[in-house]
Amino acid sequence: MDALRDYASELDAEIHSTDPGGTINFPLMPVGQAVDMGHDATGKPLFDPRVFSSREFFRNPYPYYRILRDHYPVFHDKLHNTYYVTRYEDVWRCYFDDEGFNTIPKGSSSGVLGNTQLELSGVEHRRRRNLYGQHLVGRGLDLRVPSIQRLARDMIKDWDNQLDTPWVIDEGKKRIVELGAAFANEFPVRVVCEVLGFPNEAREQFFYWYNSMMSGLGGSLTHKQGLEARQSLEDYVQDIVEERRRKPSFLKDEDGKIIGKDIITKLCETKVDGDYLSTEEITSNIALIVAAGGETTRGAIINMWYLLLQHPDQFAALCANPGETWDRAFHETLRHSSPIGGQPRHNTFDVDMHGMHVPAGSLMQMVDFSANHDDRVFKDPEKFDIFRDDLYSGKLLRSGFMKEGRCAHMAFGVGPHLCPGAWISHQEAVEGSKILQKTLKNMRLCTERQPKDIDGESLAPVGIVRVPQLWLEYDRA
Amino acid sequence: MNAPVSRDADDLVIGDNGVAVPRFNHGGTGYRTYEVHQRERVGESTEKINGSELASAGYATDPYKSLVILRENYACFRDWINNCYWITQYNDVTSIFADEANFETRSKLWYYGLSGFGRDLRQELPVLWAWSKAMDTFAETDARRLIEGFRKGSTDLARDFAAQYPILLLGRMFEVPDAELAPFAIRYRRAQRGVLWHPTAQEAGKDALRELVAYFDPKLQKTSGADTSVLAAIAGLGGTAADVVTTLLEADHETLHGILGNLWMNLLVQPASYAKVQQDRLAMKIAYLEAMRHSPPVITAERFARHEVERFGKLIPDGGLMRISALAANRDPRIFDDADSFIANRIDICHREARGHFRADGLPQGIAFGMGQPTKHPAVPEDRPRSMYALTRDTVVTASWTLAQSLPELRLKAGFTPVIRCLRIGETFTCWELPVDF
Repeated sequence: MDALRDYASELDAEIHSTDPGGTINFPLMPVGQAVDMGHDATGKPLFDPRVFSSREFFRNPYPYYRILRDHYPVFHDKLHNTYYVTRYEDVWRCYFDDEGFNTIPKGSSSGVLGNTQLELSGVEHRRRRNLYGQHLVGRGLDLRVPSIQRLARDMIKDWDNQLDTPWVIDEGKKRIVELGAAFANEFPVRVVCEVLGFPNEAREQFFYWYNSMMSGLGGSLTHKQGLEARQSLEDYVQDIVEERRRKPSFLKDEDGKIIGKDIITKLCETKVDGDYLSTEEITSNIALIVAAGGETTRGAIINMWYLLLQHPDQFAALCANPGETWDRAFHETLRHSSPIGGQPRHNTFDVDMHGMHVPAGSLMQMVDFSANHDDRVFKDPEKFDIFRDDLYSGKLLRSGFMKEGRCAHMAFGVGPHLCPGAWISHQEAVEGSKILQKTLKNMRLCTERQPKDIDGESLAPVGIVRVPQLWLEYDRA
Repeated sequence: MNAPVSRDADDLVIGDNGVAVPRFNHGGTGYRTYEVHQRERVGESTEKINGSELASAGYATDPYKSLVILRENYACFRDWINNCYWITQYNDVTSIFADEANFETRSKLWYYGLSGFGRDLRQELPVLWAWSKAMDTFAETDARRLIEGFRKGSTDLARDFAAQYPILLLGRMFEVPDAELAPFAIRYRRAQRGVLWHPTAQEAGKDALRELVAYFDPKLQKTSGADTSVLAAIAGLGGTAADVVTTLLEADHETLHGILGNLWMNLLVQPASYAKVQQDRLAMKIAYLEAMRHSPPVITAERFARHEVERFGKLIPDGGLMRISALAANRDPRIFDDADSFIANRIDICHREARGHFRADGLPQGIAFGMGQPTKHPAVPEDRPRSMYALTRDTVVTASWTLAQSLPELRLKAGFTPVIRCLRIGETFTCWELPVDF
């Protein structure tokens, strides 16, 4: 019909659009630059939520978070039914408001791991968190440091026996190692295994549980393996729990002196509301410790070494004055390239933030990645600088740190849900790295083997979570 | 013989209601309630589908493939990627659709983030009357106008009939003259598309809403007063231009546009069935009902849990989003025989408007989200017009009957294979290209 000719033309254009309407391949951009997703009439950049599932975003997330922080501090992603909170101060406030932004109901991990304190709030959360959290801090943790160091030394020493593997290669006077496979993937899990009080013979099984449960999270295609691993862990733990209920087990230092009960024994002796914890509850807590303890520390170690070795001047300064400089390196790594993206919250009440009305019960994703790169808080946030003066790198505090011109990073969250494993993760990464630095002479990146970025020359960025491989070389003694 | 259940004082707790009950989980065995709801067990895994498939380009073009996996394996699928629950079996879908106590809809303005923009006046009687009179009065006339405008011998039914017919009717209702019809239609469609997730569409939609308000503002001051004018009815209620635009936006034309395309596609790919439908207006009505069942123009509707509620073995959190799929439910083999086939004279489907439920005459109804849930009135009340369900059905049947009678030699262009798809995820699921000869 003539009167509607222009309308028909617009429909034709829509019908023959090259955008298929679902996921699309975003072009890969130079690191630090975002794809142009269009602009509104005022020049404000638009944001296409499909980018979240793109390869481009996974390798180069920070320019996209910058758009969100600067233009959509609370972004409603209607495609994924999620609100993203991206500015440091907002994330901070939400984390502290345990009542307004609760952890109920359920993250995707709970289906596989079981009910843990991650999904609880208030008093119930505090009680359960403290059940095992108390063993991962303070004197309880200090006593465990020697065994962490011993495990690191043992693993490095064992490389001599792994020359038939693809990740340890001797080339004349130098040795090439893929740090993930040779150390970082396994080291935190070994520590967790020991701290929990698992027998040594269960270690191999432990890796199966860990890997399967992690890959089975979130209703993925490996969901079944995750659930089977969780059941297998429960079956195994059941026997241990019954044994520990009858006969407590103790951790000992290198001299054989008892330094305390292992965590499973402690959990077996714990009562909540007058009841002992069920095997189910104990298993869930163990599953959480296994999952959280492994992934975060693995990423922290790999990312820290990757970034340090790309900044030889900073690495040299660190070697010259190790001590607290390792703490700085650890915290700056977690600020710059955290292995943990953020935490989900659900708003208990309707809230209005930055002009966005968020109905009660909405999923609000607190984006730690983005908060850590907020230039309202950290100068030149894309720069890795272990000596930056605006980052707090002292002891991690549940109350957070935001004073004297310095702020704590958000990688472990802050407030009531601050990761209870933050301190042990710090000790593992720092103590393990100190031993690596002392043991391996003239350590450097093996750039020929290291994955490259899209230009085929520069090294691949860390991107989301962690760099997939880290090839090192060092001089053999 | 089993030991008697202990009733020692230590084993009892006094509940809030003063009743003594055995302590749960005594001795470290058993589960607390929240654990049972939350933990997934071996056998409950959902590895046959990944949530990302449900937001993919493949889903936009062929959603049924993924929906069948859900319907036949995971009656209530917790989709972590898209943060929602998918409901796909017929009885489950209808149970949520009729459950306003636990689940709520949200307006299109809410999706825009413009909740205070204007009022949706579709429930006002003068508006309803004008709407129904316009549809009854112009259903046949406007179909003829379009048919007379076809190029001789061939046209694209999807673009030149299905997509334009609802616009002509809306033009009548809102007093848009022919000369202004195209810019009105473009803005109106942009406003509809902007409801969803696409950023460019959202911006274009917001602009279109503003432009429509500016367009209707002066018109509202001098309406015709005709009893077929929704604009006049809104003016009579003291409504503003923003109310006019809001009413238009919330009403939309998705079902009318989409089902015309889908009905005609299904008819034209089955010439033998079409030949029978062409002979009998009642057969056209039944074919329409079957098209609504087989190829509903809206794949899923969204409902939000008003509070935490346990359904389908899952604990749905307060605010939880349910994506309930008409497409999957309408082809549920538990309900319909040979459910994947379009059978123009299907007999296991309700031919009357269902009232207060989704079954009448003991037969299930094809679910059609776009027109709301079935009317709760046991019969048409004297003071109200027919339901939107009945109006849409009668209008589509009238338009289609007019087309079938006007062009008796109508046939699909040789060699062309039509498909039903969404241009973007969440948008109308219809046949966008249907070239025909006549």
